[in-house]
Amino acid sequence: MSEVMALVLSGGGGEHLSVLSAERAVSAVPFGGKYRIVDFVLSNCFHSGIDRVGLVTQHVPTSLHDHVGAGRPWDLDRRTGGILVLRPYQTRGESGWYRGTADAIAQNWDEIEEMRPERVIVLSGDTVYRMNYRALLQTHRDRGADLTMAVTRVPLEDSRRFGMVTIDRNGRVIDVVEKPERTITPHASMGIYVFEYEVLGELLRARPVDLVLDVVRPLLQNGAHVQAHEFSGYWEDVGTVSSYYRASMELLAAEPRLVLHDTRWPILTRDEERPPVRVLHGAEILDSLIANGCQVAGRVSRSVLFPGVTVEPGATVTDSVVMADSTVERSAIVDRAILDKYVRVGAGALVGAGGVPAGPEHAWLEGLALVGKDAQIPAGTSIGRASVIGIGAGAADFETTALPAGTHTPSRSWFREPG
Amino acid sequence: MTGSRYAFILAGGVGSRLCLLSERRAKPAVPFAGKYRIIDFTLSNCVNSGIFDVGVLTQYRPTSLNRHIGTGRPWDLDRTHGGVQILQPSLGAVDSDWYQGTADAIYQNLVHLRRRRVDHVLVLSGDHIYTMDYNELYRFHVAHGAHVTMAVTEVPAQLTNQFGILTTDASDRVVGFEEKPQHTRSRLASMGVYLFDRDWLIRWLLEDAAIADSSHDFGKNVIPRLVQRGDEVYAYRFEDYWQDVGTLDSYYEANRAFLAEQPPIDLARPGWVVHTQSADRPPVRFEAGSHVEQSLIANGCRIAGEVVRSVLFPGVTVPKDGVVRDSIVMQDTVLGRGAVLDRVIVDKLVEVGEGVRLGFGDDLSPNRACPEHLSSGLTVVGKGAHLPEGITVGRNARIGAYVTRAFFVGDVPSGGVVDGPESMH
Repeated sequence: MSEVMALVLSGGGGEHLSVLSAERAVSAVPFGGKYRIVDFVLSNCFHSGIDRVGLVTQHVPTSLHDHVGAGRPWDLDRRTGGILVLRPYQTRGESGWYRGTADAIAQNWDEIEEMRPERVIVLSGDTVYRMNYRALLQTHRDRGADLTMAVTRVPLEDSRRFGMVTIDRNGRVIDVVEKPERTITPHASMGIYVFEYEVLGELLRARPVDLVLDVVRPLLQNGAHVQAHEFSGYWEDVGTVSSYYRASMELLAAEPRLVLHDTRWPILTRDEERPPVRVLHGAEILDSLIANGCQVAGRVSRSVLFPGVTVEPGATVTDSVVMADSTVERSAIVDRAILDKYVRVGAGALVGAGGVPAGPEHAWLEGLALVGKDAQIPAGTSIGRASVIGIGAGAADFETTALPAGTHTPSRSWFREPG
Repeated sequence: MTGSRYAFILAGGVGSRLCLLSERRAKPAVPFAGKYRIIDFTLSNCVNSGIFDVGVLTQYRPTSLNRHIGTGRPWDLDRTHGGVQILQPSLGAVDSDWYQGTADAIYQNLVHLRRRRVDHVLVLSGDHIYTMDYNELYRFHVAHGAHVTMAVTEVPAQLTNQFGILTTDASDRVVGFEEKPQHTRSRLASMGVYLFDRDWLIRWLLEDAAIADSSHDFGKNVIPRLVQRGDEVYAYRFEDYWQDVGTLDSYYEANRAFLAEQPPIDLARPGWVVHTQSADRPPVRFEAGSHVEQSLIANGCRIAGEVVRSVLFPGVTVPKDGVVRDSIVMQDTVLGRGAVLDRVIVDKLVEVGEGVRLGFGDDLSPNRACPEHLSSGLTVVGKGAHLPEGITVGRNARIGAYVTRAFFVGDVPSGGVVDGPESMH
């Protein structure tokens, strides 16, 4: 489908994911036991036959760039088309940082122009779903729209998280309201837009900042044909700790809504070479997703373990997400926690101790303990619920052996002395 | 480094003692340890040793191996200069024919040495499980002024009749060589790893090709001749794990060794990862009620039943009430509810019907068709077999590839054989 070019917006820093996205873009946050969030969108492109993809990055993109590389896992390492990583750059006149989603596209318009697509599909790299874009593009063509937006039904009380879209009987969009407190329309925008190339190019001349406010809304006001395409499958914005955690736990359901085990629609990712899961003597594993390279000698239940996680004898991991190459040492307990990569939980330590702290300032964590990348939790330390342990935390951050619930420790740079 | 080193890997092995596992694939392509093929160890040794120019010699049923190696991507062997090349016998050139022995296979491929600026040539077997830094071998070879160095390992006395056995002097020079001797004092076995000086290799191969009654094999002809004549043949002692998985029993035991607390090879050792062709598979799903002990389970598996002391390759499904005990189950094999496997090797894409019992009972009668390979209690099921629901299969039984319901007349007793449809050729 060389007439279509996809633009994947992956610039977001997503402060709502706290330490998980402090040093990586939300799109690069690990999800589902071996994937990164952006894999879902890139796999959708692959399965929809889209072979021209621009990946727009800005916020700490190194991890994302490492992951995507030349685009091989998605067959995007091509001579014509393929993947184009679009980063901010300076020109004589401008500083180049993206001021918003529309600005990010406008600043890269020269590159997009060279691909000469007939249509541009704008995607968010921060959401998790499986969707064949062919149907959406079909709707767009059939209706002769200037812009087609994908929408999905969400509970009315969630309207504050989404752009809510009002549509008429023919599926034409009448109005879009960003994150309203109250709404009567059930349709949320999925952040997926199909533009006629010429239409988008024209709109970007005015140097808009935000795609919804400065592009979509003016289009509607000018009476352009903006079409809605309803999608009824699983779709989840995993940009907050609670939605990330909920989406992870849902994968463990007997019939998960997000199907990873579909051999006709594999989620493609940069696969590291890891040996099969080693289940050792004394291990007990229930309701969990465990990736190659893990070694389990302890007890794991209702948890997601990424490649290379070690759970030593007598250790327990419950209701948690543990990212690549982390180790839970002997007799340690990890309960309702999200551990980033390379974390070490020392022998007998307890992550997620005691009760959930009261107070609205803790609500966003829903009682979960978050542990940043490379943190080394000393043996015997106990960390209360709703705590956030900074990236690279070490002995200096654990002067007491019991951190109360709601504790936050700072992040450390690996190349600076703590203090 | 590229261009300065070159390795031939002999991957034509029939592996007839592996019974059904190598009936439709060459021995180096036999799956191993939950996601690998046997040849992955040798290929990974090459690239981990910095050798990125490799020719793989195939002959017997190469399709599976060809597909596995492909362009060589997993080993970073998809290169502009060097890389991996599959060398299947062909017609047309001088003296071309099916390879008669290992030496003949290299002789027929001497063309590949013509423009390569290498002083040495590695000749490796693709049949063994080991990790070895070939740089050590090169250093030994040069330090000893050898014309050919053979890597050797100590084997138990009762196995010396399965290997080429060497005797060395105090300076590690080889002074005696016997191929599969019935009686010998030495326990030093050739690992099928040879490092030759290029010019000597060519000279010796030309010499051997001219000998009419030679079977043109390194182990049977060339090496014994060199040793007898007093050529510069040296033995490099390799102390680490090395396993020839030549028989079903040794194949089974070698797989099971990876279930130990301390496996014989760390498959993910930093800097020495064993690479293979990995399909895109999701993480293993352990569902409610699953019970797993001491097992190796690859991505893509779904476990709701019991798995004990077993190796499961990608995409194996064990439902509720399904039991896999002391078994090896290959890719995408699916168990029906209540199926019980005990000491079984099940090849790829097998459908095990509901309530099937495989490897059942105390009767250890050896297999009727191949008692010499199938007598220790293992039952083997060939690729793509469909086992109808409710049947019971005893021990030491052999169920052929692609059998269907129609091939069964009822339960299969211990030692029983159900032959599958003939291969198309």
